[in-house]
Amino acid sequence: MSTTFLLIVHGLLAVALLGAVTHQAVSVWLPIHKPANSFVERVRGVQAGSYATAIIVLYLATATLGGIIYPAYRLGIRVVIEQLEMWSANGAFELKEHFVAVGLGVLPAYWYYWRKPLAEDQIRTRAILTGVLAFIVWWSFLVGHILNNIRGFGS
Amino acid sequence: MTTARAFPVFAIVFAVTYAVAYVIAVEQNYALFTYHPAIEEFGFLVEPPREGPAMYWYGWIATAGIVALVAGVIACLVPEQMAKRLWSGWSWAVPVAAMFAFGYLLRGFFTR
Repeated sequence: MSTTFLLIVHGLLAVALLGAVTHQAVSVWLPIHKPANSFVERVRGVQAGSYATAIIVLYLATATLGGIIYPAYRLGIRVVIEQLEMWSANGAFELKEHFVAVGLGVLPAYWYYWRKPLAEDQIRTRAILTGVLAFIVWWSFLVGHILNNIRGFGS
Repeated sequence: MTTARAFPVFAIVFAVTYAVAYVIAVEQNYALFTYHPAIEEFGFLVEPPREGPAMYWYGWIATAGIVALVAGVIACLVPEQMAKRLWSGWSWAVPVAAMFAFGYLLRGFFTR
């Protein structure tokens, strides 16, 4: 299967993941305690728990697909970015690969803290874990987008 | 401990151990296997590049995953009273520290 096709699917999965984790993070960090009347309030008032399984599946699927197309990046794009001396872009991608890997390790805890009524300190843990995953997903999405702008889709 | 009571202990210890093991695996290059993308071959443990770059990222994740899995299972065997004292916040604090560590280790990319 062509790398370009897989890259597009990877991007689409990332968009879905970005939307889900952003909804969940916003609803956790900016909850609303009254009926939602506006677009923003409806974003804040989603049933955050219902996103957890989807986020885990999307995270694993997006990371796996990213891992499959990573060799094409390593052979065809990183070399050029190094030749162009675009060190910040290169470093941002290095951080992306490590952040995504670290994120894989928190998924069991994230899953556990979204599946049952929790004590007060565990609610904080759940919120922070969600925030950490949201940060990783946003970082990865933006860095992937920037690198694709630099040299993507068969350029 | 029952499985239901053991899982939070497993999850916390897994998150902590995985993050620490991953940082060490990257820093010391303890990859369980190496991938050579140019020739599409895998090699066991760390191998030098062959006809192109060598990729260790998959191997670092595998190393950290196995270490964390073993540590998590062992942690499930501790007495329940001890397990109850385990702070749930370790599950995010150590991974966040690992992310800061990578930011520090890779700072050279942003200061050239």
